[in-house]
This record gives sequence, C-alpha cells and structure tokens, in this order.
Amino acid sequence: MNSLTIAWIAFPFLVGFIIVLIPSLARQLALGAALTSIGYATLTFAQPNPLSLTLLDNFGVTLVVDALSSYFILTNALVTVAVIIYCWQQSTKSAFFYAQTIILHGSVNAAFVCTDFISLYVALEVISIATFLLIAYPRSDRSIWVGLRYLFVSNVAMLLYLVGAVLVYRVHHSFTFAGLKGAPPEAAALIFLGLLVKGGIFISGLWLPLTHSESESPVSALMSGVVVKAGVYPLARAALVFAEIDPIVRGFGVCTALLGVLYAVFEKDTKRTLAFSTVSQLGFVLAAPEVGGFYALTHGLVKAALFLIAGILPSRSFKELQQIAIAKPIWIALVIAAFSISGFPMLSGFGAKVLTMENLAPWQVIGMNIAAWGTAAVFAKFIFLPHKPADQSQEKRSIGVGFWLAQVVLIGGLVAANLVYIEAYTVSNIVKPLVTIALGWLAYFLIIRRVSVKLPRMLEQFDHLIGMMSVVLVLLFWAVFA
Amino acid sequence: MLEAFVFATILCGYFGIIFKKNLMMKVVAMDVMSTGVVAYFVLIASRNGLFTPIVSGAPDGTVAAIPYADPVPQAVILTAIVIGLSIQALMLVGVMKLARNNPTLESDVIEKSTTP
Repeated sequence: MNSLTIAWIAFPFLVGFIIVLIPSLARQLALGAALTSIGYATLTFAQPNPLSLTLLDNFGVTLVVDALSSYFILTNALVTVAVIIYCWQQSTKSAFFYAQTIILHGSVNAAFVCTDFISLYVALEVISIATFLLIAYPRSDRSIWVGLRYLFVSNVAMLLYLVGAVLVYRVHHSFTFAGLKGAPPEAAALIFLGLLVKGGIFISGLWLPLTHSESESPVSALMSGVVVKAGVYPLARAALVFAEIDPIVRGFGVCTALLGVLYAVFEKDTKRTLAFSTVSQLGFVLAAPEVGGFYALTHGLVKAALFLIAGILPSRSFKELQQIAIAKPIWIALVIAAFSISGFPMLSGFGAKVLTMENLAPWQVIGMNIAAWGTAAVFAKFIFLPHKPADQSQEKRSIGVGFWLAQVVLIGGLVAANLVYIEAYTVSNIVKPLVTIALGWLAYFLIIRRVSVKLPRMLEQFDHLIGMMSVVLVLLFWAVFA
Repeated sequence: MLEAFVFATILCGYFGIIFKKNLMMKVVAMDVMSTGVVAYFVLIASRNGLFTPIVSGAPDGTVAAIPYADPVPQAVILTAIVIGLSIQALMLVGVMKLARNNPTLESDVIEKSTTP
C-alpha cells in the first residue's frame, strides 16, 4: 500500500508530462489519471486503519491517508472526471489545457495527503501555478488580470506561511503538523493566515468571488469544487489533531458561513452568487471538522454541477433570466442540484447537513441554522426561474453530450453518497430541513425578490485584499492565539 | 539585529505590493519580499554555526566537531526559491501581455477596466 500511495501521487504529474509529448491522446490520458484516483480512494476507504508514511527522517516528508483525506480525494477525482467529460467535445481546449487540469488534480491530491508544512507548501504553490494557467487560458486581458490577481494574493499569503513554517522548525527541528503544538503564537498565526487565504475563508477569502465568477465554467467548477478545499483540508486536519485549535477553526467556520450567505443573498449575478455560496459552504465544512470530509464531498459535487449549469444558461443576470425561460431539462438538473445544497431529503446534501448539525458545539447552533436558512433562500433564486419545454433543434446545437454526461456523474454521485449516512433518515431529521427550506423560500418571496441591495465591493479590490491580510494576521495573533 | 533587517526587508516588499501603483513594481516588490523570506531561512539555518556540514576528520581519524549550519532549512528554501522564480516568470509574462493594451501598467486602471 505504501508504494502504491507514492506511485499514485506521482502518476498524475507523469501523465501531465506525457500529455505534452503525445497531445493527441490528451483527453484519454487525463480521464484515465482521474479515474485512477477514484480507484485509489475506494481502496483507502476500505482500509480499516489510517495509513501513515514517513519518508526519510524527522525532517522528511510525512503522509497520512485516512477517512477524512479519502473523502477529499474522492471529491477531487469525481469533479476532475466530470470536468474532463464536459470539455471532451469542445475543440477550443488544447492538450495544454488537459495537461494543466491533470497537474492541478495531482497537486490537489498531494495537498490532501501530506502532513508536513513544506510538502503542503509545495503542493499549494503548484496548485497556484496550474490554476493561474487555467484561469488565463482564454488569454483575454480580463482573464490575465484575474489570474495575476489570484497569483499575487496566494503567493503573498504563502510567503507569510513560509515564515510561520520556519518558526515551527526553529522550535521542533521538524516541519510536521504536530509541531504546531508548542510553537510560538506568531508561527501559528502566520500559518493559519496562509491557509485561510488559500482556502477562501472569512474576509481573507474575498479574492474568491471575482476569480471564480470570471473564469470559464469548467475552471470555476474545478476551483470551487476542489481547489479551495486544498486550503481547508489542513485546517480541518489541524482542528482534529489539536483540541485547542478546534474552537478557533469552528469559529472561523461559523463566521465564513454567515459572511458568504449574506453576500450571496443580495447578489444579482448567477456565477457570483455561486462563488459567494462556495465561501459560505466552506464555512460548513469547517464548522464541524470531524465530519467535514463528507460535507466537502457533497459540496464539491453540487458546486461543480451548478457552475457547469450556470455556464450554459442564456444570461448571467437573474433579472434577465426572469424574462428568458430556460429549457426544461437544464432546469431539472439545476433544481436537483439546488435542492441538494439546500439540504432536501433524497439527496446527499441532506445527510451532510444533518451530520454537520449533529456535530456542532452548542454555541455554533444558532449561527449555522441561520446560514442554512440563508442557503435555502439563496438557491430559491435558482429554483424559481421560469422554464419552458425543450426546443429540440436549439438544444442540440448549444449543449453537447458532454454536459449531460458530466451532470450524470455529479448528480449520480450526489444520490449515491446518500448511502454514507443512511441513518439520517428519521422523522425529526427530515422535518427540520423542510421547515428551513420553507422559511428560506418565504424569505425569498417576501424580501429578497423585492429589495435591491448592492453591497459594496470595495474589499474585493486588489490593494485591499493584500492589506486585509495584515489585519487578519493581527486579529489571529492577538485575539486568537496569544 | 540581523533578524530585524530581515523582517524590514519582508515588510518593505509587503508595503511595496500595496502602495506601488505600477504593476511591474508590484512584481518587483514581491520579489523583495521573497528575498526577505529566503534570508530568514538562511538566518535560522546558521544559528549554530556557519560551516558546511561535511565530515572532515584529522589524519588520525578523529572527527572534529565543527559548528555547522543546519542543512534542512537551506534545502527547503532552495525548493521555495525555484517555485518563487517560476511564479515570478509567469507573472512577468502576464504583465507583458497586459502591457500591450495598458502601456502605463497602472494597476488600478487595469482593475477598473477589467472588472465587470
């Protein structure tokens, strides 16, 4: 199993390079590598004990594969498969695109298994580079600027993270996560800052909406589905290992869930709404770190599906979509996905939400229920869009088979994942989400539909994003760790 | 003392990224910041000594305990330098592309014209 793990980590990178050498086989190779990850994840789920590897000595690379990382790996694999299938028939995507996708896949995998700061740093930086190349793939001025902005923000955060990592090394002579205990508060604050920025958590994650909404839909699906989770996973891991970090991570979870929902409710643009909803859903993952893996799986699948659907809607503005009816098959896919993320029974979003709510600390309950209610209200915006019977000729032209196959993978995954927590189906568990959704829809019809609030976007400007890092750092240092 | 200089370098780079208006200067400022971080790693590595950790025994076979520099942070920062270099190169290519339509490269102008 040990050598299999190492081979599996190296495999996507190898495939990425082979794709560049044999461009004609790009799609097949990329799909094969992503399917390998699905196979590997099923293997690790079957393992009774967590697998842990230490390469070299106490300053070497350490890896841990357990149930939490298996969920994240499976999410990554399924979303990558769906995105590759979606792009399959698009002639605009060159071999380079697939090579970057699969390298991104490999580096995200690496981030999900490593448990030392330096391997994590390398994985996160490779993720930044691959993501930048994918964002800037259309090579328009806007895409290049959005990519540059992303690279700037994440690189500055990672430089501060490196300072934190070496401060941990100074105390323990080792870079493993375990060294966080006993490390000075400034080290923990710097490392947390880096992870919060990469993971898109709370105010340091406000780079995320623009980046995710202005990329092409398959890239948005990858980023919202898996890439941000590379920053979230180490936070969840740290919360599981150290009892004293657990409340901090949970606190950030609640704040992020509320902040994201607040922005998403008043947003008038479909893709930006989805991006802010990603911010809020990451909060749900962190709110109960011990069951965060399952939540991350359901969120990754549903958000990838939603971004792919948003990419083929006739418009991005809700106002215009109220006027143009969308084709019924697309609307059905949209509604299934929206129901899952709101926590409707029959779909695994329900199980994940019930599981998360059961594992909350008492002080989190009110905040998370408000966030769940807000989520239902946000997705009412999508559910109550007008629709019409499909127009066959038009349909065929605009949407390929790839889109539907990708939806089958993602939504099929959502239904199948129900099996993970089948015990959730009790009467009281079913009634509560239904009430939440009903209240959310009520809020949508009574308030959100009628008011037009434009929240300021000042904090999303580049200079403020960088400056906000120092504010968050000060907050982390004085208010949390010291 | 040295540590203070290193942190000053990091802060100079950080504030450069915020306050410089020109995109090119922002990239350079980021390089200054990463230089500071590299210097900090080297500083931490040299806490116990400055010599290269090579076993050099006297002719009679006894090994002299020299105060050597810790090789681990240096090895790690070598990786980080390579990554930093490639990111810098990528950014400069991006800036070059942007310069075609925005010759002044003022970041707030670019931001305003490209944000919807």
